[in-house]
This record gives sequence, C-alpha cells and structure tokens, in this order.
Amino acid sequence: MKNRTLSALFLLAAPLALFSGCKKDSDTPEATSTGSVNFTVQNVVPNTNVVGVQPPTPLVLNSSVATTSTGETFTVSTFEYYLSNIKFTKSDGTTYAAPDTYFLVDQATAKTLSFTVPNVPTGDYTGVSFIVGVDAQRTGLTNPLDFTGKLEALNQAYNMYWTWNSGHIFLKMEGTLTSTNPTKPLTCHIGGWGNNSTPNAIVTATPAFGSNKLTVRTDKAPTIALQANVAKLFDGPNPVTLSTFMGAHMPSAQSVQIAQNYAAGMFSVTQINTN
Amino acid sequence: MVRRFTHIGVSILLLAGTALSSCKKDKEEAIDPVIPAPTPYTLVVPAGFPTPVIPADNPLTNEGVALGRMLFYETKLSSNNTMSCGSCHQQNKAFTDGLAKAVGVDGIANPRGTMSLANVMWSNTLTWDGAFPTLDAQAHKPIENPIEMHQSLAVGVSKLQNTTTYPPLFEAAFGTRTITSDLLLKALTQFERTLISGNSRYDKYTKTQQGLSADELAGLKLYSTHISPRIVRGAECFHCHTLPLTSSNFAAQFFNNGLDMTFTDLGRGGVTGLPADNGKFVAPTLRNITLTAPYMHDGRFTTLEQVLDHYSDHVQMNSPGLDVNLIQGVNDPIFNPGRMGLTATEKRQVIAFLKTLTDSTFIADKRFSDPFKP
Repeated sequence: MKNRTLSALFLLAAPLALFSGCKKDSDTPEATSTGSVNFTVQNVVPNTNVVGVQPPTPLVLNSSVATTSTGETFTVSTFEYYLSNIKFTKSDGTTYAAPDTYFLVDQATAKTLSFTVPNVPTGDYTGVSFIVGVDAQRTGLTNPLDFTGKLEALNQAYNMYWTWNSGHIFLKMEGTLTSTNPTKPLTCHIGGWGNNSTPNAIVTATPAFGSNKLTVRTDKAPTIALQANVAKLFDGPNPVTLSTFMGAHMPSAQSVQIAQNYAAGMFSVTQINTN
Repeated sequence: MVRRFTHIGVSILLLAGTALSSCKKDKEEAIDPVIPAPTPYTLVVPAGFPTPVIPADNPLTNEGVALGRMLFYETKLSSNNTMSCGSCHQQNKAFTDGLAKAVGVDGIANPRGTMSLANVMWSNTLTWDGAFPTLDAQAHKPIENPIEMHQSLAVGVSKLQNTTTYPPLFEAAFGTRTITSDLLLKALTQFERTLISGNSRYDKYTKTQQGLSADELAGLKLYSTHISPRIVRGAECFHCHTLPLTSSNFAAQFFNNGLDMTFTDLGRGGVTGLPADNGKFVAPTLRNITLTAPYMHDGRFTTLEQVLDHYSDHVQMNSPGLDVNLIQGVNDPIFNPGRMGLTATEKRQVIAFLKTLTDSTFIADKRFSDPFKP
C-alpha cells in the first residue's frame, strides 16, 4: 500500500514538476530587464495661415487642406500606412530591434493612432527608426494565409494588400487635388518590395530625438509622440507636381520617389514623455 | 474560465483519489456541483482569415450557441408569432431572402435589402450604413423595428419565460433560469458568430494554388487588379470587396459606387451627418453571391451580369463623392474614356470567379439549420 501511494504521488508529482518547469522558463526574466515603449501618432497638414514657422495642424479627413511647398493644395479622404521593424538606438551605437513589430496606422480608426512595443531592454535610448511599410521577408516571401497572430496587422482583410506578387500597400493616401480647376482625384498606393526587378519602395525613417532621451525602465513606460505631415509625400528629395501627377497604384519608379520623400521628412518626434 | 479550471482541477483530484483507493467513493458524489459550467465552443477559423475578436463578456459556448440557434428561428420574438430572424436570413440563400427589400411582419418593406450573415463575426460595422459598430449593438434592432419583427425585447422575453422549453436552456447557457434581454441577445449573437463561410472553391485554391479554371483565375486577377490605364487591365473589385472576406465590413469602410447622381437614401451620410458620406454604403460580402440576388442595397440588379455592366459601363462618374478608384479606374482612356470599360470576356471571367465563392457546405451545415424543422 505504501509503495502504491508513493508511486501514485510520484505520478501526480511528475507532471506537476513538468508544468512548473515549463512555467519557470517562460516566467523567468531574461538576463536584462525590460519595459514598454508607447507610441502616439498624429497626422498633420502644414499650417499656412500665418507668416513664420507655425506648428502644423491636425489632419481632419475630407476637411483639412494640405499645401505643398509649391503651393498646390489637396484634401485627404484616406490616409493609412504601416510602421514596422521598430529599432531603438543607444548613444553608444548599440541597437535593439523589436521583433514582430507591425502596426497599421489608419487616420479613420482612432485606436490605431497609438500602439505599444513591449519587452524593450531597459536603458537610455537616443534614437528610433522604423520601416514605413513592411520588410521583404513578410510582405513578399510569407504566405498571406499566415498573416495571423503576431502578424495580424498584415492580414489581407485590412485592405492594404495586393494579391499579384506585389505584397502590401505600404502607404495609402486618397483624396482630392483642389488647386486645379476642375479638382481631380488623388491616389497614392505605394508598395513594391523589389521582386522580379520591380522597384523597391521599402524605406526606413529615422526621426531625430533632438535633445529628448527615451528612458526605458521596468516601472516606466515612456511615450514617443510621432507626427506625420501628409504634405511631405510630395515634398523633399523628389518634389512631385500634383497637377500632372497621374497617381501611383503599383510598384513603380514614381512610387519609390514618393517613398523616399516620406522616409526623409514626413515623420518627426515632437515629444518624449517619460512617465 | 476560473470556474472551468476549478472543474478540471476537481476531476484530476477525483481521478487521483480513485486510483489511490476505492473507499472514498461516497465523497466523490457529494462534490458534484449543481449546474455544470457551459462547454467552450470550438471555433474553426478558415486559413487566412483575421483572428476573430469575441467580446470578453460573451464567450461562445456549446450551450449558448445551441440556445442562440433556437432563438434565431423562434417566431415568438415577433409581434404576431409569424417571423423569426430566419424568415429573412434563410440558410439556403446564404442567410438572405431573395427580395430586393426586406418585408416585416406587417407587410411593410424596408428601404433596403436583407444582408447575408456569412462571416458576420468579422464585421466591425453592421447594416448597410454602419448604424451599429458591433453585432451585439445591432441584434436588437430587427426584433424591435416596427417594419421588421415589431416586438419589444421585453415582450419576447416574457413569452419565452412562460415556456417550459427556454428557462432550462438559459440555465445551461448562462446559469440562470431568469431570461433577460441581455442574455437573449448574447445567445443570439453567439450563434451568429458561428456562421462562418470559408470552404468555397476559392478558399481551396488559396491553400493549394489549384482547382480554378483559366477563366476563373483570369477573373480573380481582374478582381484583384488596380487599373493602370492602357498598361494593366483590371476591374478594381478588391478595393472595396477586400479579400479574404470580400467585404468592407471588417475595415468598416463605406463607398459611393456610382449608382445615382442624387441620393434618395443617404446611406452612411444619414448616420454621420457628413455630406461627404452621402450615398455611401458598406461593400457587402461577395461570398455565396450567386445565392444572394438581387444586388445593391436596394436590390435594383437581379443578375451578376447587370452588376458587371454597371461597374463597367454605367457608373455615374459625376456622382458626388464617387469612390476615387472608380473615377480613376478607366482601362482605356483613349478609346473608351470615362468608363472602366471591361470587355464581354472580362465580365464573364469576373463572374466566373465570383461563382467560386459559393460555399455549398455552409448552406447545408446542419448546425445552422432551423432546429424546429425535421
């Protein structure tokens, strides 16, 4: 009887040990401690109402008027883009690349205008970078049936995907050019990841922190306030004249030029709030 | 959840106890609780579909779904006991009714047609104009609407409370014999969330890259292609009828597809009050489209050929707020300006593809059928 009890106890204890063993592994913190970093995104249009440098004004769909550096104007009905592969840089040049970071920012959906990157090693960071769009591995070489779970934001159902071997639409802006008479529709669907010698529009933005520092602690979740100026799609290294612009809706040289524009100047860090 | 785990814990202990000795039998029986917790429903999500979001306060259970199925087909929820949800949402028509405009208990027609419930779990906006953001918020409307089932939920609840059938079913699903409007809607939406259609020939193609004919594949390519005038021919369907759900309910987007120059039905604009939204409607699912005629919010087209003719040749290009993809979607601006201009072959190919979206297992699935019929 005693032996039976002991072996029964062992049978009970063995799986328990296994369970607790498994749990321990995942619960034990890594050698480095981590914290979260929050992001907020505010899409804006340039402020042209007053002389001098004025802060841009928040984008209101179908209402705000965006003005390019050459004075052409447009309104925006749709403005969506992916931010992915978020990477933080320390002053010593070391970096932390947050895995599986894919966020779809959609001006029409308030909850997409903020997101959180978890498990960032604690420390003081002096820079951030991200792909405006999706990396080639995920957008081009991953079966679209696998865009679930951690890759949920990449699901085709979000209406940011081309089926024909072209991958995701990295950035989508639709609106109306209002500085022509008559007005004309404006569409910018930017994508292309460089397969089959198609143009590659995967670009990285590195908005400067300035004097700000990002302080990540286990008990502090700092917030990086990003601002995205929609007029910068057409200004920057490759100015686009909208009156003769035919729209972009497939991988093309012009899509790459617009991608270079938004990589260079669309994003800025307006504030870093250390809670 | 806590409760379920407790049960699992108890059964493990019981098993262990049984293994140890048989003299503790009496004690086991005493532990049995009064009402067993409902069993979680196993939801099978088709490959490639987004991860469904189910409200934390209404998890799917076998008991809740079974009750919801009965309520879906329960005519006591209408004022004269003649109509149920299933009267307009008929399974053999992919949960539509074959009418241009839905007709309620008093014989009065709605301004719009019945929408399919296929994959309604993924709808982040409900009804043609997005009047409701969630299924849970929407479910009471057709029951209480005077031109639909025309009965307050409270009256329906008391009718059900006075049966011998329903109180035990609510007890099994929710742990109480006291029926409330809230629990009734919860059961109903649990059932509706199980109405998943993801087993069409197109779905099989997405997994195997096989099984579609040359015409069907050509149609899929047209469906999914943005036009580059005189360079790439397309039909632009995917902008609004986004794969894999083939609707805009998930993205909660609304479009003016150029049916009219002026709007007798303001659609989305009637909800938001924004002039820019006038004449815009959700792009409904195209899954099982061969079963859900007539088409458009007011059922003005009876065939898919008429629908393709509309997009190809009859879009009101000056309709205020017309979707930009339709304004710019001109295949040949030189020889057929201002029109999408699909050829007869291209129209036939798009329709051939649309027919691959029919899911014969969905309309025959016994889990979704009327439990009151043999």
